[in-house]
Formats: sequence, C-alpha cells, structure tokens
Amino acid sequence: MSELQAAIFGALGGSLFGLMALGLSMGWGFLKNINLAHFAMILLGGYLTVDLATNLGMSPVATIVITAPLMFLIGALVQAGFERFDVSEFNSLLISYGLLIITVQVVTNIWTADYQRMAPEVNPLAAESVRIGPFVFPAPTLLAAGFAVGLVVLAQFVLEKTYAGRALQAFGQDRQIASAFGIDHRMLGVLLAGASGASAAIAGMLIAVGEPLIPFSPFDWIGRVFAIVILGGIGNVQGTLYAGLLVGAVSGVVALAWGPSASPLVVFSLVVLALVFRPQGLFPRKAGH
Amino acid sequence: MRRDRGWIALAAIGVGLFLVPVLWEVTDFAVFYLVFLSGILFWVAQATSWNILSGYSGYFSFGQGAFYGVGVYTMAVLFGRHGWNWLLVILIGGVLAMLLGLGIGALAFRLSSLKGEIFALLTLAFPFILAGIVRLFDAIDGGQGVVVPVPSFPELLAPFQKFYFVLSSVVALLALTVAYLMHRTRYGWALFAIRDDEAAAEGLGVPTFFHKMIAIGANGLIGGLSGAVVALNLGFVSVEGTFNLTVPLFVIVMSVLGSRNHWAGPLLGAVYIHTLQNRLAAGGFEGWSLIVLGVILVVLMLLAPEGLMARFTRRPALAGGVFVGVIATLGLLRVWGDPVSWLAAALGAVVVVAFLPGGRTAEKRSEETSVGRGASVVLGEDLPAPLLKVGRPIVVAADVAKDFGGVHALRGVSMTVAEGELVGLVGPNGSGKTTLVNLISGALTPTSGVIELDGTESSALPPHRIAHLGIARTYQIPRPFTSLTVRDNVAVAIMFGREPRRLDASRQAAGEYLNLVGLGGLAEALPGQVNLHERQLLEMARAMATKPALLLLDEAMAGLNPVEIDNAVEVVRRIRASGVSIVLVEHLLRVVNQLSTRIVVLDQGLVLAEGDPGVVMKDPAVVKAYLGRQTDAPGD
Repeated sequence: MSELQAAIFGALGGSLFGLMALGLSMGWGFLKNINLAHFAMILLGGYLTVDLATNLGMSPVATIVITAPLMFLIGALVQAGFERFDVSEFNSLLISYGLLIITVQVVTNIWTADYQRMAPEVNPLAAESVRIGPFVFPAPTLLAAGFAVGLVVLAQFVLEKTYAGRALQAFGQDRQIASAFGIDHRMLGVLLAGASGASAAIAGMLIAVGEPLIPFSPFDWIGRVFAIVILGGIGNVQGTLYAGLLVGAVSGVVALAWGPSASPLVVFSLVVLALVFRPQGLFPRKAGH
Repeated sequence: MRRDRGWIALAAIGVGLFLVPVLWEVTDFAVFYLVFLSGILFWVAQATSWNILSGYSGYFSFGQGAFYGVGVYTMAVLFGRHGWNWLLVILIGGVLAMLLGLGIGALAFRLSSLKGEIFALLTLAFPFILAGIVRLFDAIDGGQGVVVPVPSFPELLAPFQKFYFVLSSVVALLALTVAYLMHRTRYGWALFAIRDDEAAAEGLGVPTFFHKMIAIGANGLIGGLSGAVVALNLGFVSVEGTFNLTVPLFVIVMSVLGSRNHWAGPLLGAVYIHTLQNRLAAGGFEGWSLIVLGVILVVLMLLAPEGLMARFTRRPALAGGVFVGVIATLGLLRVWGDPVSWLAAALGAVVVVAFLPGGRTAEKRSEETSVGRGASVVLGEDLPAPLLKVGRPIVVAADVAKDFGGVHALRGVSMTVAEGELVGLVGPNGSGKTTLVNLISGALTPTSGVIELDGTESSALPPHRIAHLGIARTYQIPRPFTSLTVRDNVAVAIMFGREPRRLDASRQAAGEYLNLVGLGGLAEALPGQVNLHERQLLEMARAMATKPALLLLDEAMAGLNPVEIDNAVEVVRRIRASGVSIVLVEHLLRVVNQLSTRIVVLDQGLVLAEGDPGVVMKDPAVVKAYLGRQTDAPGD
C-alpha cells in the first residue's frame, strides 16, 4: 500500500470519527456541556443496529429509522436533566462520565463482553467493495464517509440559514444576551441535544456495519474523538470534519510507516501541540459571524 | 477557630497501619485481609496524590494513569527485566513520574488558555502517548507484557502479602502526610486560592506557577511511587492492563465521593469504593460494579458535590460513634458475615446518618458567628484629615500605551504617584482607567512605554512580583475566594504578602484588617453570604493585608447606596491615614474631590488634565469630556 492510499483510506475512516465528534463539539460549543454520554449513545446505537438487523431481519442501514428517534429522545432527556439541575460545564463532564460507565455495564450485561458483529448474510455490505480509479474501497468506509459529509453539510446549513441555527450561534457566544433577546434556550438546547443523539445513532450504525463492537469500545473512541473536537475547534462544524479527515490521514500514514501502535502516539502528540499553540483549533472560522 | 485534630488522625492511621501486621501475626485472620487492606492503601495513595493537584488547585486531571503507568513500567523494566534493586527502582519510578508531571506542568501552566476542561483534556492525551511509546519499544514492552518476579525481602516481613502491605502502608502514609501538610501550610492555601480565582491570587502575591508545579510534581511523585510498588504485586504488567481507564476513573470517583478540598477526602472515598467493589464481587454482582460507580458519581454530582467528608464533619461524634458501634456489635455477636461485611455495614450506616436532616451546616455555623451583622460596617470616631508629606515616587509611568487588537485603549500616558498621595483617576467610560490599573498591577503588559515601581522596571514581571514590590489592587466587580471564609480570604493575602506569616498567625492577624474596614463581625461568613458593599470592603481588607505601599482602588464604590458610600469613604480615609498611597478610580466626583490630593483625568487613552482637584474640575476641556462633546463638534 502506498502512502497516498494509506492517507486516503485513513481520511475516509477519520470522517466517521469526525461525525462522532460533531455532536460533542456542538454541545460543548453551544450548550457548554461536555457530554460523554454521547459515546454511550453511539455504543447503544451500534448494538441496537446489530440486534435489530439480526433479530428482526432489518437492513442494517434502515435500523436508524428506529435508533435515531430513540437516541434523539435520550439525548434530549439528558439535556433536559442538565437544564433542570443547572449543571455547570465541568460537572456535566463528570455526570455524563457516570452515565457512560452505567451504559457500558448495561450493554455488557445484555450483550456480553464478547465481540458482537452481524453475520455476513445480515450485513452483506461488509464484504463489498467499490473500485474508484486505482483504489479499491470497502463499502462500509465509503458509506460512513458519505453519511459524515452529508450530515456535516446539513448541520452547517441549519446553523447558517435557519433561525434556530442562528439563535444557537448567538446563544453559544453569549447566553445571557441571547436569552434577553427572546431566544428560548431550553427548547433550543433540548433540540440540539436530540439532534446530536440522532447523529450518535447514525454513527453507531456506521460503526456496526464496518467493524465488530465490544462494550468498552467507547474508551477506544474517546481519545481520538476529543482530539478531533479540539483540533477542529470547539463548536466548529466544518472544522470537525476537516480535523477528522486530517487525523485519519495522519494515522493511516503513520501506521503504514511505523506500525499501528505509533499512530495514537503521533495523534495525541499532535493534540498536545495543538492545545499549546492553537487552543482555538486548526481551522479558524471566518470572522464576521 | 477550631483546633486542628489532623495530626492526631494522621498519627492514629500510622499506628494502626503499624499494628495491622503485628496483630495479624498473633491472630488467625486469613491472608485475604492483608490483601484487602493493601488494595485500599493503593487507592488511598493514588486518589490522594490526584487530589493534591486536581482537588486542591482545581486543575482537574484525567491523566493519573500516566503517573501510575510510569511507576508500573519503571518497576517492570528496571527490576523485572534488569534485576535492579527494587527499593531503588521504587524511588526511580517516583522521580520519573514527578519529572513527567513537571514536564506537563511546564507545558500547560505557562498558558492561561489551558484551564478547566482544556487542561483536563490535555492530561487525557498523556496516557495515550505513553501507551504508544511503551507498545512501540521492545526494550520497554513491545506489546508482549513484562513479567515482574517476586522480590527478595527480609524474612521478618514474610509472607509476601505482609511485605506488600508494609510497602503500601508507607506510600499511603506518605501521600496522606504530604496532603495534610499542604492543607495546613501556604502550599495548600496557594492552591485553594488558585482554584477559586487564579488571577486574583496572583495579584495578591501568590506565585501561582510555582505552586501549581509543586502540586503536579507531588501528584506525579506519589502516583509513580505507588505504581512502582503495585507492580511488585501484579507479577505481570501489560499495556492494556496499565493504561486503561480504571485508575483515572477510580481516583475521580473516590475523591468526589470523599471530598475534593479536604486532605482526608480521598482516603474516605477509597475506603468506601474499595469495600463496595469487594462486596459486589463477593456477592456475585461484579456485573453491577460500573453501574453502581456510575450512579454514585451522577447522584453525588447532582445532590452532594461537596462530598461525604463535609457531611461527616457536621456531626463527627455521631458518625464515628455509629461506625464503631456497628462494627463492634457485629464483631461481638458474630452471627452474620465476615469482618469486611461488618466494615461495609458500618460504612453504610454512617452514610445513612450523615444524610439525615439537621446538624450544623456551614451556613448555620457562620450565621451563629455573624450575629449583629447589620451593624458590621459602623465605623469609629472621625479621623483627622491626614497630613502626609508627599515623598519619593512609587509608580512612574512613562509614555505607556496599550492596544487590544486594533483598539488603542491607552495612547501614551505618563504619570507619577508618590508616597503620601491620593490620586483620583477619573475619566469617561472607556477612557482607559481600568487598563491603566491593570498595567500598573501587572495583569497586563504595556504595548509600549515603561512603568517603574520603586525604581524597578515592572513590565516584564509577573503580577505576584509586583504585589511584592508593594502594589495591591481591588477589582471593580469583587473577586473573593468563594470557598474560603472572609477571614481566610484575608489570611491568604497575609500568607503571601510582603510580610508573609504562617497559617495560624495569618488567621489571627486577619482580624486587624477586617476591623480596619469594619468587617470584623463577618469574619467567619463565606463571601457568598455577604452583600456587595461588604464584598467590596473585603477586597480592600485583602489588598491591605499584603502590606502595600500603593493601593489601586478600581471603582470600589460602584453600585453602592449613599450610606454605604459614606462608609466606604471613611474606610479609604483610614487606609490613607495608615500611610498607604492610593490611586482612586471613581466616577463619583463628589468622592474624588473630597479625598484626592491630586486628580488625573483620562480621555480616550490620553491624559487630558492633571493637578489640584479644585482647578482640574473647572478645566473647560474636562467639563467637555464629561458632559459630552456633541454640543460643539458632532462626529468628532
């Protein structure tokens, strides 16, 4: 495999991490919550996809018809709880950490700690691949990249063009002033958290289609996803996608050159450098917003 | 003031730990109990070391696993692979982890942007980086894991479990002693002040960088020592087993459960969580352990974020009595369970008692002590107008300018403040008054120009050095240390001021400064319980406690009613009478005229006029700046 190929493969895989980071980044930027329960929802979404596809015979991709509304509800409920108890940014981190480990244990108790994956006949997509030019891509990776780009474009559109999106941006910049101008921050926050939850369900489905799951998978994701949130800039929707692609590409090339165990080393060294030199993210938004 | 019983508690723990192996020899308890207690001691060391940084200073770390991992792998490589002396290797492990801590600190603490959640996430990265290094290099691990053989130890300490218990005791006791000593001295109080308001602490003379480095160094050292010790017990170490989320998760839950601002909080949390884990496993409920931990974390953060320690100290005798009573009863009856079950039952009973309503809460205690608070700011006899001679200059600002991006807040201001002066600094909103205060106090550095304090150029100095040169300031919006009482707010300023004293002496001396501003009756209240006027007076008391030569009062009377303003004016007079020079930033011209020996008028970042109050305030240019310029030059 050439470096170029490794970079492209890595970037496509990284876009899925960008999608996972999207909800987290928006919640942090606009609602001032660091919601680790986002990972719990991704995990649940993934397991539900496996379960529904295997036991009800649904197409794995179609399971999001059920999981996305469900995770919308859970995400919205968690946010309503944060509002109800007036949870600070920092305490939200600890509380949602508690929610995450509860979920991990529940998932373990229901589905066991062993790897769960869909049988080939349930998930035919896993074995397919698509040839584009000189490269052959696995279908799940392309599917994930397609969803990730689509959802980021959608999120960007909603933020820029709709009243709710502009209200959210205003709210993210100054909560009190925005509230004084009549923005119902509770409703907006609950809606955004619900949307984040739905995106978590989709990310969970995409992961389940591509690879096996274990209950402790979230702890493999957290580091990389936070790296992307920080590199992309907190609350920066497009930046999150770019950072996902970048982290994925770097990981791919490093893994090829020095072995897979070197890629977290490089990625997290990148995070430390980014935090020290560019805490606002690598991709500054255009001024004027 | 309560007498400190910490030494007694610490000594009792030490004696108890010494007695355990001795008693174990002469009784028929199984080896299991030594193992169980060693497990608690491991967590006491890890959680206490985490708490020194993250609890005391508020710099929350997800990176405990990095310090722990350095200790574990130092032992695995140097002792396990190369057969070095294990005692030496324990020390090396501690030192290496400390160096890692200092390295992280040197990177993170230089930047004011790396606070709160960003610091927490930075620390999250280090275990991943270390895991990568360990997995990558075959000389360390290479992904295969490393065997740590049983070390040779004195026959007196056999079997191994006893030897390991003794090692664990030493490290845990070291951790508790360090945490306690810091709690009782300036090292801990600097961190408490940093946790509540780092900039205000620095401005009062606290060398914040130095103290944060001490905290992260201690965190690393103890975490590393403890990791090196536990590696001896593990027998085999692997990357996955070392750099996972167990250690960072448990230290957080334990400290949150116990208390993050008390030295013994993590100890309490470690006892609770380890016992709980053990009982869950013994009862076949291992599959519930994360659920239980998660629920504890969520419920505590929502309902009792201050931790169990705070609950227990409200009724210490009752909590202690119930604990001993339940254990003694079950132990004597011997009809149910084993000693660990008795411990678990007693711990549960204490929690139930602690959450019963009633008892002395912190608020009640301060209410008891602040009887008659309405009269707290009544001042004594009228002081004669001070007749102080104007002496040598304290501050000399020469052509000082400050830009914020494209905004020119100050455009070349020169002014001098000399001993014995009370300079009124006035000007319309946005004229640069507060910017000038921030430049003199070192909170900002000038874009150009020079400020000399007592003949020393100050622009390159950190604010705490400037405080030590004799400059103190108050904030327009008061910034008290919210978790410390009014008295302790002042005590911190004394501890780190120009004539530093120890904690107890500082607390006593604090009364003098509280009386100076008329807050003596509110000494034991928390800042959140007093009104704006009283918080502004606290700002002045705290600033005076640093023994300044010059006090910068930044709109210390904003938002007060007329009676309170008269009080504040009286306090300013008293401060001046004590020989301290003052720069008074104020919008109330009545007050400025009444108090100032000289007035400096700023407008649009320049000195508009300067001189005797009577003359300056009649200057047509000053009148125009204040009453607006729209009358003669629209759009100017």
